[in-house]
Amino acid sequence: MAPDLLPDAARDARVETYAHLLEYGRERGYKLDWLTPRETFGTHPEASAGGGLLLQDIDRGVFADAPDWSDNLTGRPRGSLARANAPKVGNYSVRTKGDIWLRNAAQLYEEAVQRQWSSAVDIPWDTLEELPDEIERAECQLATFLTEVEFVAGDVPGKWIAETTPDYYEPRMFLISQIMDEARHLDVFRKRALANGGGLLMQTSNAALAGAAIDSARDFTEMSARLHISGEGLVLSIFRMGERMSYNEAEKAIYRLAASDESRHVAFGVMHLQYLSQAQPERREEIHSYLDEIELGLVIGAGGQNPATRGTPSNAALAILLGGGADSAAIEEGAQIALAVRQRQVKEYVQRVKVAGFGDRFENGRANAALAQYVAA
Amino acid sequence: MVQTTRKTARAKGEHAGNGATNGATNGATNGATNGAGAGRVIPTPATPPAPLMVEPPDLSWMDKTTGWGTRALPDLVHGGGLTIDALNIGTYSKVPDHFPYRNRLPRGAYPSPIAGSIGGYYLQDKWEQWADCAGQMYEEGISRRWSTATDVPWETATGLPDDVEIALCQVATELSHQGSIETEVVCSWLQNLSPGYHEVKLFLATNVYDSARMFEGYRKRGMVNGGGMLFESPGRMNRAVMETFSGWTQTVLGLWFLRGALQLTILRYLAAYGPTEADSVLAARMIPDRMRAAAYAVDHIRQAIAARPDQRVAFAMWLTNLELAQAADAKDPVLWEALAVALGGGVKQIDAGMAIVRRLQHDWVQSYIDRARSAGLERGTDLGRPYQAMLAEGATAAT
Repeated sequence: MAPDLLPDAARDARVETYAHLLEYGRERGYKLDWLTPRETFGTHPEASAGGGLLLQDIDRGVFADAPDWSDNLTGRPRGSLARANAPKVGNYSVRTKGDIWLRNAAQLYEEAVQRQWSSAVDIPWDTLEELPDEIERAECQLATFLTEVEFVAGDVPGKWIAETTPDYYEPRMFLISQIMDEARHLDVFRKRALANGGGLLMQTSNAALAGAAIDSARDFTEMSARLHISGEGLVLSIFRMGERMSYNEAEKAIYRLAASDESRHVAFGVMHLQYLSQAQPERREEIHSYLDEIELGLVIGAGGQNPATRGTPSNAALAILLGGGADSAAIEEGAQIALAVRQRQVKEYVQRVKVAGFGDRFENGRANAALAQYVAA
Repeated sequence: MVQTTRKTARAKGEHAGNGATNGATNGATNGATNGAGAGRVIPTPATPPAPLMVEPPDLSWMDKTTGWGTRALPDLVHGGGLTIDALNIGTYSKVPDHFPYRNRLPRGAYPSPIAGSIGGYYLQDKWEQWADCAGQMYEEGISRRWSTATDVPWETATGLPDDVEIALCQVATELSHQGSIETEVVCSWLQNLSPGYHEVKLFLATNVYDSARMFEGYRKRGMVNGGGMLFESPGRMNRAVMETFSGWTQTVLGLWFLRGALQLTILRYLAAYGPTEADSVLAARMIPDRMRAAAYAVDHIRQAIAARPDQRVAFAMWLTNLELAQAADAKDPVLWEALAVALGGGVKQIDAGMAIVRRLQHDWVQSYIDRARSAGLERGTDLGRPYQAMLAEGATAAT
């Protein structure tokens, strides 16, 4: 049945039936106040082809109405019936739709559910083989860095989930799937560091500082720009280069699977910015100011979440992995490729910002001028 | 050999992100990669501009390790793969009683002297969060992953009398609401639990995923025939669980002892008496999810008491507070009536259904007592009258 509401006649017949049942129950001492059909009763969702019963297909009528502003302070599921005596437990700071909404969050969540994987059994760990010492150390340094920064991408969304009204449950659900993904990432990179005769290496102090910037964001969109657009976007570019810096099938699988996850996270950030730019155009200038900060980090190479940031152990490790060794010639070659990686990061950032609806900054002189050098090189 | 391996990988030019660009990510990530030529060889710039100048790298980090030569092995005998617990060997097997870093230093990594504090992560003691089973529960959560979209035979959720269908929607609303609250509560703690005990954080990631699945799975159940979401939870227990910021351990007691036992018992009854196959399967699928939370909770409380015996009384007092809140919710008839109609087969069979509910209540309270006892907390004499009554009436109903 199409998700139309019931005709009046059918609803009237049902009301009569309920009246009879209520009378029966109440004569026996039951209250049965809850026994009332909602306006959507008897309707059915239209299932997507082959995908099962998906979150994006189920809501209709009042249940589909994500309000522009939420007064739900009891944490009740959207569309449910409020109780006048329920305590107000939800100290939600995100109660305005534009602050967190995007159009495809439920789809992204369901895709995440379908694409879950296991670092224990889905990585061909048996393909690891002994590597030259400098290569193994570089692998382990990069893995240490990625283990560290993945904590950021899991913990910070957690805070915002708790801050968001359940009336906007779709973006919350996606962020929950992100927490799951990031847990798996920090887990798989720790496993890589400890599975091939190496070990964890040095904490990257810069990553801790950059992580704090994401932690400290006072607005969800500001946080999302720093985390999804910048941080995860940069890491995604690296993961997509995984084929070039892998020395066995296990590493290739790690980067391939992690990239699949990260692309959803980046998509969330892009689509949220896109929604916000359309729903709250008055916030565009504010968003541009966040992008100004992000671009400054990109061009001076100060973004601590970026393994390709200059002067960091993770960047040196990338150069060794990409060049195939730690001798000067190999490092020189690897460093040149790492620079190309940074160019690619910038190009992908530019494209994401354009898709998000803020591409005007690349035409009106607002964007950081040094970005052009990356794009042109 | 290494060089050959690298060149081979280069020559393949496979796109690492291929799997990610289907479906919902189209547009966002596809658009983002335009022009970047993902998967092809990136040309090395011949004359890099100033921002792209190569700097000689500092390689001093290469010797900064606390335990080089570690080789964790996958479990090839039982097929469990390379588990997170398998990494705890050598230097990395040491789980300290106190983790002094308030940043994201991975346990066992070489700490940077200038990393500093980034705020949060104030639960730095092992006893405040640890459970030996956390790593195992994490891996089990991953290996038992499932989807409400495709693993529940939703097409069988049909043909019920209207009153039974609405009753199930009311039960679904309660479970969905509880799942949502649990997600919020656990998520709010993640930034406070030290990365030094990453096994716990990993397990909790699976837990928020599980509780979110309870939220969305029962929302789907409510919506599949249009009944939707009915009355929200009474809310006293929600408030009690939310207001446990005195400590994570108190939150564990709030989420996974009395309330967790109630959820599990309801799910077991729905799995057994579910009026449709979809209802049985949905509930049965969620039982292992809830069991993992219970396992972590019992293990954590037991170990917390072992490490800090002085806390046993405080934990018991906290349970008393939680029992009062839950008792206030239990006075409300909505959930019990809905369960009676759903499990009994309709309003006309509500008396028979209420007899089942009495047994459910008995099993719930007994399960709670057993769970608390396993953790080292005796509730027998401290248990309030409402619960004593449920035990007594349920025993009568069972006979």
